[in-house]
Amino acid sequence: MHAGALLAIGEVNAQQDGPVTIIPVEIDPAGELASYVSGARDLLQAQSLRHVIGCYTSSSRKEVLPLFEKSDALLWYPSHYEGFETSENTIYTGAAPNQHIVPLARHLLQNFGSRGWMVGSNYIWAWENNRILREAIAAAGGSVLGERYFALGETDLEQVVEQIVTDRPDFVFTTLIGESGSEFLGLLRRAARAAGIEQPREMPAASCSLSEAELPLLGESAAGNLSSSVYFSTIDTPENRRFCALWDARFGHLGKASADAESAYVAVHLLARAAEKAGSGGFDEVRAAVRGLGFEAPQGQVRVDPENLHCWMRPRIGRSRSDGTFEILVEYPAAVRPDPYLTWSNEDAAASRPALRVVK
Amino acid sequence: MSRSIRKNFRGLRALLMMGPDSNRDTLQRTLEKLGLGVVVAGPQTCLSSYSGQFDVLFFDADDGAFLSQDGSDSLEAASIAVVGSEAPSRLAHVVRCRAASHILKPVRSSGVFTALLLADNEHAFRKRQQQEMLGLRRRLAGRRIVTKAVLDLIRTSGLSEDEAYEWLRREAMGHRIPMEDMARISLGLAPEDEQVQRHATRPD
Repeated sequence: MHAGALLAIGEVNAQQDGPVTIIPVEIDPAGELASYVSGARDLLQAQSLRHVIGCYTSSSRKEVLPLFEKSDALLWYPSHYEGFETSENTIYTGAAPNQHIVPLARHLLQNFGSRGWMVGSNYIWAWENNRILREAIAAAGGSVLGERYFALGETDLEQVVEQIVTDRPDFVFTTLIGESGSEFLGLLRRAARAAGIEQPREMPAASCSLSEAELPLLGESAAGNLSSSVYFSTIDTPENRRFCALWDARFGHLGKASADAESAYVAVHLLARAAEKAGSGGFDEVRAAVRGLGFEAPQGQVRVDPENLHCWMRPRIGRSRSDGTFEILVEYPAAVRPDPYLTWSNEDAAASRPALRVVK
Repeated sequence: MSRSIRKNFRGLRALLMMGPDSNRDTLQRTLEKLGLGVVVAGPQTCLSSYSGQFDVLFFDADDGAFLSQDGSDSLEAASIAVVGSEAPSRLAHVVRCRAASHILKPVRSSGVFTALLLADNEHAFRKRQQQEMLGLRRRLAGRRIVTKAVLDLIRTSGLSEDEAYEWLRREAMGHRIPMEDMARISLGLAPEDEQVQRHATRPD
């Protein structure tokens, strides 16, 4: 994320006599909630900054939002998240749930079956994604064979993997993050192989957060995992080829460019364009200018929804390969309107069969 | 039976009885994002003129006008109080209006979805409860007529108490009518007459 933002800032500032120059002020809260608050207070109140790019977890975002509201400042939030928020002080450049979990649920139910197993880290991202998938599975007449949550960072996962292999679901949906996530994928691959299951084909692991950044850490289980994302480094657009070349030259040691890097890159460019359009860096002016603003991003055209300040983007499903990239299996033909409250998305439409509702 | 909760409010109609300020603007914008149709009325509006035209009511608890209007059927729509002052006199009004949830001022976009979800589900629950209560009341009131019919069957047909009751139950089921109506039929009473009489003589 940090690297993606730096790339974009470099590009914006490199424009000779460009109308906008960005001078970054950096702080690193190191994942500590309290540091986010003190950091935001410093940036917004002591230094009177109006635009901050950052936050990864929803808890950190929720923690600092009241400060942004009080200070009339904008948070440019570059992460996919579980939705159910539309702050007027946030520009959301990551995917909303109708752009990540809903398309993935549809793909899994249509291509693999309707018997699922869900494993996740014990927090909101996992609970809410599992809730959506569970309802889609139920609407398809399928079943959830198991659902288990683990503390962040937990790596003692042999038992749950053993249970999954015994249950032999059609797919495994994982919202485990960090070390738990990579440990789990390795254990699952090995346990499945020992049981004679060709796991990527017969019992794939799917996720809405697996990205190019994690693949190098997965070793031999890197290939054959499904991921739903609006960005993969393998997207074939001139903008992405340029973005990846820049990335590889400067940050290649971090793996291939990933969705988080791209959405931070998009956030910075949107900020610069909005400020240019507004002729000002002020809060009200930039927020008014960013509504409906479009940008030819590496992933394709991204446009800020004038109403909810999330972005129109194209959902994609990728399957990881051993070279640290994703093969794109599904790509929506056009950008999908962000629907953070899933008000307009028919969640049941994710079901593979026509959803027959029991009325009574 | 566990019911799944309602969480999509697309197409619901909201009536905002609030004065023009940033709280109302934020509330209106957020509701529209959630897919609701919003009608704004001043705090002085007569609620009955909007009868049947909204599903959820947001009212400014700091403004006494709406609250002094009596006779608004609290079951017609879910109501949500927008609370500024936490003085007990204001909150007492909120209680009397049977607000199903509330939003604190200053209104932020966060919190609106929660208040709406709680109020809508609480309201649906209250409505089910009221239906259930009406049903129970009706059955309670019909209890005498059922007993009377059972006694009559024992006397005239020589059935046991259990047999008489079972016969009434089966016949009622067969005709898909309540036991009470079946009892009336078996006593040779016209259901309508009985209904009028029952209402007239009900102790409450």
